[in-house]
Amino acid sequence: MHISDGVLPISITVGAYAASAALAAWSVRRTRSEELPKVAVVTAAFFVASLIHVPFGPTSVHLLIPGLAGALLGPSAFLAIGLGLLLQSILFQFGGLTALGANALMMGVPALACGVFFQKLKGRSRRRQSLVGGLAGALGTALAALILALLLASGGEDFFGVAKIALAAHIPVILIEGAVSAFTVAFLVRVKPELLAPAFVQGHPRQPELNAPPQEPPDSPAHG
Amino acid sequence: MGDILQIALPAWQFAALLLAPLGLLAGAAAGLRRMLKQRSMNGDNPDWSVPPLADAAGTTLFHRWDVRCKIAALVVYSFLVASLQHLTPALAAVAVSVLALVLARSSLARALMRLLAITGFLAMFLVVMPLSAPAHPGDTVLVVTGVDWLGFNLRGLYKALAIAAKGIAIALLMEPLLTTAPLPVTLHGLTRLGAPDMVGQMVLLSHRYLHVFRHEAERMAAGMRVRGFRKRTDLETLRAVANFLGMLFVRSFERTERVFDAMRARGYRGHFPAPAATRMAAKDLVLAAVWLAVGIGLVIYDRIFWDRIFWDQICW
Repeated sequence: MHISDGVLPISITVGAYAASAALAAWSVRRTRSEELPKVAVVTAAFFVASLIHVPFGPTSVHLLIPGLAGALLGPSAFLAIGLGLLLQSILFQFGGLTALGANALMMGVPALACGVFFQKLKGRSRRRQSLVGGLAGALGTALAALILALLLASGGEDFFGVAKIALAAHIPVILIEGAVSAFTVAFLVRVKPELLAPAFVQGHPRQPELNAPPQEPPDSPAHG
Repeated sequence: MGDILQIALPAWQFAALLLAPLGLLAGAAAGLRRMLKQRSMNGDNPDWSVPPLADAAGTTLFHRWDVRCKIAALVVYSFLVASLQHLTPALAAVAVSVLALVLARSSLARALMRLLAITGFLAMFLVVMPLSAPAHPGDTVLVVTGVDWLGFNLRGLYKALAIAAKGIAIALLMEPLLTTAPLPVTLHGLTRLGAPDMVGQMVLLSHRYLHVFRHEAERMAAGMRVRGFRKRTDLETLRAVANFLGMLFVRSFERTERVFDAMRARGYRGHFPAPAATRMAAKDLVLAAVWLAVGIGLVIYDRIFWDRIFWDQICW
């Protein structure tokens, strides 16, 4: 769910923009500067992934994937998500231009949190990585829903009802997101485990060339 | 200000009051969707899944407006509109946006697409807020005879309508803002206004590869359909979708390396060449000033003179 224009009080709107700009600047500093174009290209893939709808009973939900973005991109995730939301806003009007700061906080902060969560807890075995990945996916969506509800509730008590409904509407998404994230991480562990360490982050030992023949990073158990 | 004014209605009137606007909205949305689908089948624009932004070959006021002035004026104006609190100024903002659409000769279908995208979110406010807003002294609440836990608060409806009007006003303004110049030119204008060069580059790259990856995703989805995959509400569907996502990520990460190598091979050294020289004339600045004056006028009207309007007064 994206916040559209004119919903939030103007002070929250502007404050969220300032906070997002600060976080985006931090995200840029943590990304190797020459690889920013690569982050942009990867963002396009995450954008397409977020267009995929999964049926849920009579209706369908689309994936939000802040958890997966955090797990795959680490600190660069905030940048990628901000960029993706800007594109969604200018192309589809999903989330307004004036609400971009609030939307970026809502999706980007959970992504950063999930990135840390995933890298700290992922361990070595395939089962554990996919379990932690699933938890990160569920956690990311839950956090995003919580931040959405808090932002909506900032409008005053008239908005509490809407905030509660928005929170409740995310419960199926949290479950679906968790399951899809777990399966996606399991797939990546089998197919390309080096993707599960953030690729473009400064200070990280340089990843093996992604299109080089697979080689085993010392700490990555391909056959765990 | 006084006590809560309660107006009791028979249950059927209450239900009609609640359901009629909802049905109208749903009908309008369904009609719009069908209309857009038909249009896209006529072949004049076959693919709406990722709408193109460039419709740049025009000579209207908006096309000739210097891109820096246009961005600055319309973005600041959008924030001014977002800060409105009352319905009448917000409706005036909608009128201004419609005027801008007409002046820019924007595509009606695309503007309607944008409205369709925000309908669901705004409908949630229109439905939930009247029923959930707590009643304050001076409010008018419609209640059903004999049911005391449900009340339709007119102040809540008023607030939701104001929000919806603001959202519509700003969404309609996006067409004149974004489609009256090619995206590279708009982003170049943004850079000239002081945004970091890298922002514009990243948006351009993402926008470019968005279409590439969407085609790739469509090919993969077609392959899955051919092999008999149908989406259902079950774990197997989720597993298939997850593998699909994983494959999309693997391919895209591999592709980024090749894209980047290709860019460097063509001389990319951290920035793109500027798409066009921007020239700012006095009339660009005048137009920007007029536009901002309209916005400030709306805010002043909203904050100071709103109580001159009858319905703003009774509902607030």
